[in-house]
Amino acid sequence: MKSSKRLVTNQLTGVLTKKTGGFGSPVPFLLPALLVVFVVLIFPILFAFFVSLFNWPLSGGGGDRTFVGIGNYVELAQDPGFWNSLWLQLGFIFVAIPIELILGLAAALLLNREFRGGRLIRSLILLPVFFLPVVSGMTWRFMLQPRYGALNNLLIAMGAPEITWLANPQTAYAAIIAQDIWRMWPFVFMLMYAGLAGIPEEMLEAAEIDGASYFAKLFKITIPMLYPTILTALLLRIIDALRIFSEVYVMTEGGPGMSTTLFSLYTHRIAFGHMKMGLSSAMAIFLLILSIVFALTLVRKNMSLDELENRGGNR
Amino acid sequence: MIMTVATKRKIITVAIAVFALLVLLIELYPIAITLLNGFRRDIVILSGQSFTPSQLTGRSYEMVFANRMFMRALGNSVIVGLLSTVLSITVGAMAAYGISRFKFGGRNLLAYSFLVFRMLPQMSLVVALYMMFRAVGIRDTIFGIVLAHSSFNIPYVIWLLIPFFVSVDKGYEEAAMIDGATRWKTFVMVFLPLAMPGIVVAAVFSFINSWNEFLYALLLTGVRVQTAPIAVSSMIGGEVLTWGQMSSASTIMLVPVFIFTLAMQKYLIRGVSTGGVKG
Repeated sequence: MKSSKRLVTNQLTGVLTKKTGGFGSPVPFLLPALLVVFVVLIFPILFAFFVSLFNWPLSGGGGDRTFVGIGNYVELAQDPGFWNSLWLQLGFIFVAIPIELILGLAAALLLNREFRGGRLIRSLILLPVFFLPVVSGMTWRFMLQPRYGALNNLLIAMGAPEITWLANPQTAYAAIIAQDIWRMWPFVFMLMYAGLAGIPEEMLEAAEIDGASYFAKLFKITIPMLYPTILTALLLRIIDALRIFSEVYVMTEGGPGMSTTLFSLYTHRIAFGHMKMGLSSAMAIFLLILSIVFALTLVRKNMSLDELENRGGNR
Repeated sequence: MIMTVATKRKIITVAIAVFALLVLLIELYPIAITLLNGFRRDIVILSGQSFTPSQLTGRSYEMVFANRMFMRALGNSVIVGLLSTVLSITVGAMAAYGISRFKFGGRNLLAYSFLVFRMLPQMSLVVALYMMFRAVGIRDTIFGIVLAHSSFNIPYVIWLLIPFFVSVDKGYEEAAMIDGATRWKTFVMVFLPLAMPGIVVAAVFSFINSWNEFLYALLLTGVRVQTAPIAVSSMIGGEVLTWGQMSSASTIMLVPVFIFTLAMQKYLIRGVSTGGVKG
């Protein structure tokens, strides 16, 4: 019935298109989304840029506001706190993300075979990804408490010295990185595992018949074929790392001192700690541009509407 | 000693299994801690005693359920999640339909803009939203936080729905329009029922997005419409160290997320990477 219906409509579509001049306008369908997006995304961005041109205290009358042009951006460039947060953010990206990629890829390669309980193990490994970031932050904060923290006790039992992890700048920074690795490498694993499923079996079989070793297959076929997935995972993780806030906020609030003020935390601190909305907005715009650069790279290189539609259509 | 290929294989399999279990143990340890601590009393946790089954008690849960502030925050989270989902699904489904069923100039640009919008850091928007919401008096209202949550949910829903929508056979809509139905009526009466599985998946994930959200809730809500993630985080601080209650409250928040995400695992890749990955 379905196919005969399609046959009839296919014959009639031409007629219909001619008679009505197409299927109507997309505008009524797009308008509501565009309206909301304007209010909650486009306008706030424009407003943030506007505010970034002023010396704009959080409270107090409008009289306190003065136009400073690019003054806030200049101040940001000279602010040691900004550079500190930049280094912390870069360190975070260069330490946490490579480890997450390697762990995720290794686990995907190891678990990419059928064995009893395989599905269960893959599901369980993914659980940390769904752990609420704020709950993850709280749990890590608990685990690292001196005297009664679970992880702290475990480390002491293994011979580590008693450390107040989150009160010490270096160990606090290490802790927020460890938290991120723990929670997010399974996310990379999930992407890599799906990517491996897309590699044609025949290619690997052909290589095996030709006598290729495991590592030859890995480096000559699997990893090159997986390259788009790896790039996607890398860019998604970088974009995500630029947004990190809640888990670090509940673990350390950016402290002790300024030792864990990643970009978002420092922006928050300038706005609601130092009450400088203008300077904070300049930082927000900087963060926005940085994120857009990575997002555009990701979208242009690895995400395609046509691909999505073809895949959807062929299902 | 010469190993046969079969024994070598067996050793590798066992080694992988042991490794997988070890990794699993590390990954599940913090989750287990949270679940267990929810059934221990604050005083027991603070004393640093190691765990014994005799410590298990429902006392922390009782206290959390009797905690008016947390229960109200939980209620707020449910309301905000539902309203933001309804709003995002309504306008998101319409937009995804517009993008997947019409060819028009700027179509790609529009679709990719939504994708980029989804990846913007919340911190870049929240300072401006805070000032805007305060100026028009919608800070700390359900309406305000629902609107803020739609800023990430609408782009998310649109990109999650496009592949579902494309896979729906156009023939049914064309037949309906030949029978004289308007485009709008066709969308609601013919198309949406066919696309329902996709709508359900998008609705569940957008509810979870809203349920987990922290930064907007921190700055755009106050005492009146505070949501549960903020309430959980405020259970620890200064002299207040109610780790048991914090863990009970966390578990209450985690259970629905774990159930839904595990049930919908196969759609998850599509949700997180929002878009077709070029092969």
